[in-house]
Amino acid sequence: MPSLHDVAVGDRLPQRRVLVDQERVLRYAGASGDWNPLHWDPEFAAQVSPTGGVIAHGMLNLGGISALVTAWAGGPERVRSLRATFRGACPVGATVTYGAEVVEVDAEAATATLAVWAELDDGTKVVDRRTSRAVVALTRDEEGRDGAS
Amino acid sequence: MLNPARIGHRYPTYRYEVSREKIREYALATGVEDPRIAADTGDLVAPPTFAACFTVMRAGAALLDDPELGATPRLLHSAQEYDFFRPVRSGDVLDCTPWIVDVSSRARIERLVLQVDCVDADSGEPVVTGRTTLVFLPPPDGEGGA
Repeated sequence: MPSLHDVAVGDRLPQRRVLVDQERVLRYAGASGDWNPLHWDPEFAAQVSPTGGVIAHGMLNLGGISALVTAWAGGPERVRSLRATFRGACPVGATVTYGAEVVEVDAEAATATLAVWAELDDGTKVVDRRTSRAVVALTRDEEGRDGAS
Repeated sequence: MLNPARIGHRYPTYRYEVSREKIREYALATGVEDPRIAADTGDLVAPPTFAACFTVMRAGAALLDDPELGATPRLLHSAQEYDFFRPVRSGDVLDCTPWIVDVSSRARIERLVLQVDCVDADSGEPVVTGRTTLVFLPPPDGEGGA
């Protein structure tokens, strides 16, 4: 897991690309309990969707970002906070890219703040990096990694 | 129209029990690659956004069921925040209390911020706070609306 010593502002996590197809969206609906028909019923979506069609849950994409961040951080227990602004809609069937970049390191608190995002290939900002952040705990030193307690 | 007099209103507390298999299902649905998730035994730490399972829908339903608020189902999830006091683990029993932080409107678009305070049911200590921003769309032209 990343230590205070290793992490610097500007570090980028390896991006992940994911096809957000209907199967993935339905799987998220079942896992989260969010069965809003906006995400699977084309007739309902035609009336309320910003795209006129079915779109993915904002939380599905934030969940994908969260998976990227926790893999880097060394587990979900190291995430202190997460905030996201859902800007553009993600149509079902789109390929989305999840990314994260370290924008602040707090040596005193031993935390890193990451700007996080989800974007479509056409540039649509699904999760907007300008206002979306994850705060992650860092280990203080090499010894801390296996520190006896 | 959303009723701004509902700012500060607290809805009844509900209880949520965090189960290992629900964490696993959620983690797999969001692409988590963690050997602990694949293992058949042992407590699991929930992914941060697993908190959606006990905040977004349940608390959102409280809003839609509130006759004094005036919320309509034509809504979009526009922002989400989670602050963790400690990780959420399988076996946790959480008492969750939703309340309305803010209501505002601009150009026929109404915005509501809903907070859910989740505390450990045994100790009463805070575990996670969720803050959801919802945007309510105006009714389609011709359907009136206040």
